[in-house]
Amino acid sequence: MVDKTDTLDCRGEVCPYPDVKSKRKAKKMNSGEVLEILIDYPLSAERIPETMKSMGNEVLSTEKVGASEWKILVKIK
Amino acid sequence: MVIDIFVVLIPGLILGIIFGFILQRGRFCMNSAFRDIILLKEYKLAKSVALAILVSMLGFAIMSFGGIITLNPKQFAWGANIVGGLIFGFGMVLAAGCASGTTYRVGEGMMGSLVALLGYAGGAYFTKFGALNSIAKFLQDNTKITNPDGSALTVFGDLTPIFMLIIGIAGIALVAYFWIWRELRAKKRENKPMFDLSDFGQKAFKKGWHWAVTAIAIGILACFAYISSAAAGRNYPLGITGGWVGWNKYWNTGVDTTLGWETWLVIGIVIGAFISAIIAKEFKLRTPKDAKTILIQFIGGSAMGFGAVTAMGCNIGNILSGFPLLSLGSLLSGAFIILGCWLLAYLLFMWRKD
Repeated sequence: MVDKTDTLDCRGEVCPYPDVKSKRKAKKMNSGEVLEILIDYPLSAERIPETMKSMGNEVLSTEKVGASEWKILVKIK
Repeated sequence: MVIDIFVVLIPGLILGIIFGFILQRGRFCMNSAFRDIILLKEYKLAKSVALAILVSMLGFAIMSFGGIITLNPKQFAWGANIVGGLIFGFGMVLAAGCASGTTYRVGEGMMGSLVALLGYAGGAYFTKFGALNSIAKFLQDNTKITNPDGSALTVFGDLTPIFMLIIGIAGIALVAYFWIWRELRAKKRENKPMFDLSDFGQKAFKKGWHWAVTAIAIGILACFAYISSAAAGRNYPLGITGGWVGWNKYWNTGVDTTLGWETWLVIGIVIGAFISAIIAKEFKLRTPKDAKTILIQFIGGSAMGFGAVTAMGCNIGNILSGFPLLSLGSLLSGAFIILGCWLLAYLLFMWRKD
């Protein structure tokens, strides 16, 4: 279990807010910190990990935690 | 009942269910596709849209030469195409989904999209038959330019079908080489199998589809849709707006002749997306966190409805179906849908923020 630095709850956000907010949040965080992102929007479950990777961050896990709910853990580089 | 069940209802519904299934699996939304080009520099959905158009173009060209279908591109009316396209583009950013995206998300249980859809159906109906009709009609009648015989302007005139064939083949070859082959080669370099068919069921029903799979599926479906729709007396491939307008007209008048092929297609999309979302455990009844979002989605949906009827088609009618037919009107509408999407997405999500 990794220690998460911060959690971003994007459940109930419409497209593209989960992506935009995750991106902004990740930019503000420091290297080595771990961000947990909670989402309930299928497209973002695939797109956020891609965006995070292209930003150079490490996606630790994408876990489906319930009906249309995902938890993404990202380590900031 | 005057609805022909075997020609209109069942084929429309079945094709709609398949379409909805593909849309949900592929997360095929043109609002995301266009917006993400500038916002997230993410091109997968845009590639999917491009390939779906090319596959349709090749399919329509072959079917036209084979005498199976009669090409029926949309008319050109620059004022209507520009104004309608731009307002549709603005609207889909606010509604958080294009016409097809909004429709399939209702099947996923997104109640914000349901509100957007009600706005869309209302806006489209008022523009087609009601209070806003004079604006759309003014633009369409006063800026319309046709061929001397009254037929719709296409990019290559009489040579358009042969160019559809050429662009279709060349375009698919370019996509296959530059996008698909490069992805496969990159996989090979990482020593992963190029086509991994293990866990096929898992990949087909539980995970999102690869953009190229979605695109090819939609392109092939569009060909069958063209044949089926034409047989039902509507000589055009896939569309969304007419379907919701048809339901609205039926609810308002009770005349069931308004329930054509397209009305069953759109209902099918919702059902297909629902089935797909249930299987993948992605169905959940949910509302946007913020009440303001629902209001914005409603306004966006209404704007899309006005834009779609004014521009004589939504993103499906004008882009997915109209681009393959190389209709000048569809290409202009589509360009302004994309421009409207980019302008508003820039103002809302990128300006002074990043």
